[in-house]
Amino acid sequence: MDLDNLASLEYFYPEIILAGAILLVIVLDLVIKNKRVIGALSILGCLASLGATLQLYSGPSGFLFHRMMVLDHFSLFFKIVALAATILVLWMSFSSREVASLHQGEYATILLSSALGMFFMASATNLLMAYLSLEMVSITSYILTGFLPRNRRSSEAALKYLIYGGVASGAMIYGMSWIFGMTGSLDYSQIHAALFQGQPNQLALFIAFVLILAGFGYKIVFVPFHMWSPDVYQGAPTPFTAFLSVASNAAGVAILLRFFFPGVSQLGPDGSWRFLSGVEWPQFLLIVSMVTMTLGNLSALGQQNLKRMLAYSGIAHAGYILMGLVVLNTEGLQAMLFYIVVYLIMNLGAFLVVVLVANATGKEEIDGYRGLAWRGSAVPAIAMAIFLFSLTGLPPLAGFVGKFFLFAAVIKQQFYLLALVAVANSVISLYYYARVVKVMFLDFPEASDGRVELNPGAATLLGLLSVMTLVFGIYWGPLVAFTSQSLQFFTK
Amino acid sequence: MEVGTVVFYLIALLVVASAAMVAFSHNIIYSAFSLLGTFAGVAGIYVFLGADFVAAVQLLIYVGGILVLILFAVMLTHRITDVQITNRSAGVVPGLIIVGLLFWLLYETITTTPWAKAKEIAYAATSAKIGDQFLQSYLLPFELASIVLLAALIGAVVLARKEMKG
Repeated sequence: MDLDNLASLEYFYPEIILAGAILLVIVLDLVIKNKRVIGALSILGCLASLGATLQLYSGPSGFLFHRMMVLDHFSLFFKIVALAATILVLWMSFSSREVASLHQGEYATILLSSALGMFFMASATNLLMAYLSLEMVSITSYILTGFLPRNRRSSEAALKYLIYGGVASGAMIYGMSWIFGMTGSLDYSQIHAALFQGQPNQLALFIAFVLILAGFGYKIVFVPFHMWSPDVYQGAPTPFTAFLSVASNAAGVAILLRFFFPGVSQLGPDGSWRFLSGVEWPQFLLIVSMVTMTLGNLSALGQQNLKRMLAYSGIAHAGYILMGLVVLNTEGLQAMLFYIVVYLIMNLGAFLVVVLVANATGKEEIDGYRGLAWRGSAVPAIAMAIFLFSLTGLPPLAGFVGKFFLFAAVIKQQFYLLALVAVANSVISLYYYARVVKVMFLDFPEASDGRVELNPGAATLLGLLSVMTLVFGIYWGPLVAFTSQSLQFFTK
Repeated sequence: MEVGTVVFYLIALLVVASAAMVAFSHNIIYSAFSLLGTFAGVAGIYVFLGADFVAAVQLLIYVGGILVLILFAVMLTHRITDVQITNRSAGVVPGLIIVGLLFWLLYETITTTPWAKAKEIAYAATSAKIGDQFLQSYLLPFELASIVLLAALIGAVVLARKEMKG
């Protein structure tokens, strides 16, 4: 279907609810004195939006608002991911002492706006919408990065992020203007038709794609668009860092896949995608993927600050996720979607422990984790061990299954070198993840190290995330079914 | 060369030269003033493209609003002229080589690519059409832009305000 403005509203409830929640939170923030209510209200808004999204999942697909955006399983999948991340991060924010000192109403408002931007990133089928939604997510991210008052590191991170983001989106919009110049259209399906029917200049297309990739790539954080990430991850309020590492990354993948797959590739009957002939795209991505994971892992080795270490590990994981893109087939894409869900769970869990430790000690450095298992409750240390081993990709945890699918997709298409580099990287990553586990369990705490308190809310969330990490490591069937069902693009 | 082409290149020169001034000037007030040439020149390019409404808006918002705001911010900031922004440039030679190569690559590509040419530019009023489009095909981006601006506004207020408590 191809609906006009009024008819589209019926399929637009998730966005309407979320936008309504944003406005409601701003207004109620002026009236309500108890700030926990604001957080609870935001979560409620997200849950309502999630309900509406799930309902659309069983409904029809089609273009909405004069082909400005598309409703299909692929976009709904990423909306669910964005909402899940937002809900979990809001939940996490309840137990963060850092966030408690901030303006709750504005914090929740901007976080929800960011989620709304991700909705549009996942469903944009027009370069104008793609650009606008990306800017929406970027602007809200700059704001939340610099949200800590009178904190030099936070302000510096926001400024760095802003400058890198500005350059990246400038490059992207320049690339988009080339595409527009070659095809005369902003609409993805018209671009597709023009590129496949006409005889486009391959070099010009390649340049345009690289420029556009700068904009998308800085959201997914792959090399060479990664420079901002360690400083921003370290400077931002920790729950928002967690949000940035999973949701922003996923939204970047969504917009990238939508543009490069249904946009400028053709799906063959055997589930393999054919890219525009003559543009050596997969080879280019292959190199980017290998460099990204290697650089991320090697830089993570020497880090003392946990947030910085997780930033570099995030870069490495962006490299792993890119592996699914290189093979240009449905299997690879499905592995990517699976990995995004798994990464969301385990990375949010790891950041939750960082929040808890920072609450107790005010430290994010590794020595704050000294003997964590013997300081008060042992639960955070055990959960952290689960998340970190899952990030490494050890069985029987969810991270292993995610990596297994990615490696399998790559090996089946005989990209042996890539698989080899990825395996070597996993081994390197074991070193720095295991170092944290060693410090937590084998080192003894000193008298000055604070006890780590666990409130019921944080304990429930921690339990939920670690159980999910374990369960998806053993029983991944439903998640595989869900991701393979979600890999449906609506193009006609 | 036609007169139109000559005028176009003069405007383009104005834009690029002013932009270079913005980037290379050591005094931030000169940089701010140089933006005038860039903004006004871009308005001229819009006129060339037959986009009368956009050109007028460019003049109103960028030259009339944003530039004045920047100048105010620069002038009101205490002792801003004392700060010498030196743009320390390291590795000028390799940088120039890379920029030169990139420029050559882009130039070669642009001149050999068959671009989708627009039909003859019709110099007619566009504002009515833009209004129609905003409420029809482009309603969604129009509304989305308003949410982006709302979020930016809230963010700006939060980041700029003084802490009241404590």
